Amino acid sequence: MRIITWFGILTLDDHGSVVEWDLFPKDTDALVERLVRPKEPGMDMPPAGFDLRCAAIKCNFVASNDEYYILLRDVSILAAKYRISCGTPDMGVIQAIEALDNIDETSNILSERLAEWYGLYFPEVGLSSEPLARFVAKYGSRSNVLPGDYLYKKAASSMGAKLTGPDEELLRIFAENICTMYDSRNLIEEYIVKSMEISAPNLTNIAGALIGARLVSMAGGLERLARFPSSTVQVIGANRALFKHLRGRASSPKHGIIFNHPQIRNALWWQRGKIARALAAKITLAVRMDMYSDGLNESLKIGLDAKIGRIKAANPKPPKRENKGVMGKEKSKYKSKYKYKYNDNNNNNDNNNNNNNNDDNDKSTGGR
Amino acid sequence: MSPKEVSDGIFEITKRGGKQLATKNLVPGASVYGEILIEINGCEYRIWNPKRSKLAAMVIKKFNVPITQDSKVLYLGAASGTTVSHVSDIVQNGIVYAVEFSPRTMRDLIGLCDARPNIVPILADANRPQSYAHIVEKVDIIFQEVAQPNQSEIAAVNAKQFLKKDGHLLLSIKARSIDTVANPKKVFKEEVRKLEHDFDVLDRRELVPFHEDHLGVLAWMRKSSLRSD
Ligand SMILES: C[S@@+](CC[C@H](N)C(=O)[O-])C[C@H]1O[C@@H](n2cnc3c(N)ncnc32)[C@H](O)[C@@H]1O
Repeated sequence: MRIITWFGILTLDDHGSVVEWDLFPKDTDALVERLVRPKEPGMDMPPAGFDLRCAAIKCNFVASNDEYYILLRDVSILAAKYRISCGTPDMGVIQAIEALDNIDETSNILSERLAEWYGLYFPEVGLSSEPLARFVAKYGSRSNVLPGDYLYKKAASSMGAKLTGPDEELLRIFAENICTMYDSRNLIEEYIVKSMEISAPNLTNIAGALIGARLVSMAGGLERLARFPSSTVQVIGANRALFKHLRGRASSPKHGIIFNHPQIRNALWWQRGKIARALAAKITLAVRMDMYSDGLNESLKIGLDAKIGRIKAANPKPPKRENKGVMGKEKSKYKSKYKYKYNDNNNNNDNNNNNNNNDDNDKSTGGR
Repeated sequence: MSPKEVSDGIFEITKRGGKQLATKNLVPGASVYGEILIEINGCEYRIWNPKRSKLAAMVIKKFNVPITQDSKVLYLGAASGTTVSHVSDIVQNGIVYAVEFSPRTMRDLIGLCDARPNIVPILADANRPQSYAHIVEKVDIIFQEVAQPNQSEIAAVNAKQFLKKDGHLLLSIKARSIDTVANPKKVFKEEVRKLEHDFDVLDRRELVPFHEDHLGVLAWMRKSSLRSD
């Protein structure tokens, strides 16, 4: 068995005695660097009851107990200092994920403006957001659309006004600016994925880089997230959803941002709550692993997938609805009110709403 | 008023009729957290307030604290080092491995380590001894004060990895970090029962009046749980 220690890699025989060793250079900085580096896979930690100090003396890494302690203390202090000083690679991620939200909000507003504005000249274009911005930046007036483009016919027969001169120039530049915003959005997203893979590999593996980054951001840092119980992790982000809901832009929040996870979003509604609990529990473990930089541990993800598989197998059918009395009536009233409110402008919202109501039922029947 | 050594490296100082606990200052002249320094016969002592330290309370409650000047101690939940500094005074020829998992708290602890030659700081989660098994040697004492609901588990995994055959576990159990509403006596009973799975409990006493709803425990590994080494 090959084990790693702070002073070198040792090979042990079946009785746990050191038979071979590959010592690290006896240089404080090099030892610190080893100590703070994530653990390499395929290397074991010393077995229970292993006598590290005796091993260090046996391999002649140090000549005496005193030397052992002096060196270990220096190295540990430096390693601890290093890890608390750079224990914040999450700060860049936090800024980036907030910037992403700012860009989304801004580019949405500007894209809507562009759609309305450009609609004067080419109402039939049928594009919105990024595709529309790219289209306008490329062609400007619909008279520039090339015959090969699938919108060529529509452009030629459009009822829109002519777009020429300074108007065309202005719209084009406006569209180009929106495109730049989408470009930087892509860059920021790449940055988040990369930094998350480095600073929180386990969280990223379980939750995905973006959801992971959002959790870190809303908790106020990886360390704070590591201290949350999984019941809290499950509802992180619900406040924000609540505000959106109050502004009439989203359905009422039952769940935090982990409900955007594909494993939950794509699950059947009555399985979602259970999957969310399992996911939140694994996220909690993953964050703690990441805090202490042990590198990626695949077993978490395997465990999660197995657990989700079991949840799905154990709950193949929706729970039966009980209590159809007053509660049931109230619920349907509630639902229809929302239908009325949302139906004409946003189908999506209506869908969500249904699901949430169902989750309610799930809780009230299964929970107690 | 010469100090009386009540346990290795732990003294009782009688001053104006009152008794106070103290340790010999390993770094004379320096007060760590505002504790009072007293010089007696050319030797400086640091007053050790049982209200600020579970270990000091255990000493006053007549626990047979097995720490000596040569002890190697694994201290889980070191916080900013209030108690650790006194342990460092006691084990003047030994070493304290101080595990703490909050980086913010670790900052204070590192300041203490810088000033003292016998503390090794470790930023890690006490739930996972495997993450510091490449740093910590076999120890005589595990002192644990992590205030976590799974305290007995943490004690067991660490003892299995690091505790010498005849080494001791000193534990402070905070009832409210295990169950916020249950009767503390019940919680203590249950925790001791859990501990007895791996340990022989040698002594247990509540730490009142110094710490409400805290139980001090002294234990060692059960023979059946011992490693074969
Ligand atoms: C009650 S305080 C200890 C007080 C301190 N020993 C003193 O008297 O000077 C508990 C400490 O344990 C730490 N802690 C809690 N859970 C931990 C864990 N799993 N691993 C390491 N430290 C932990 C906390 O951050 C906190 O600083």
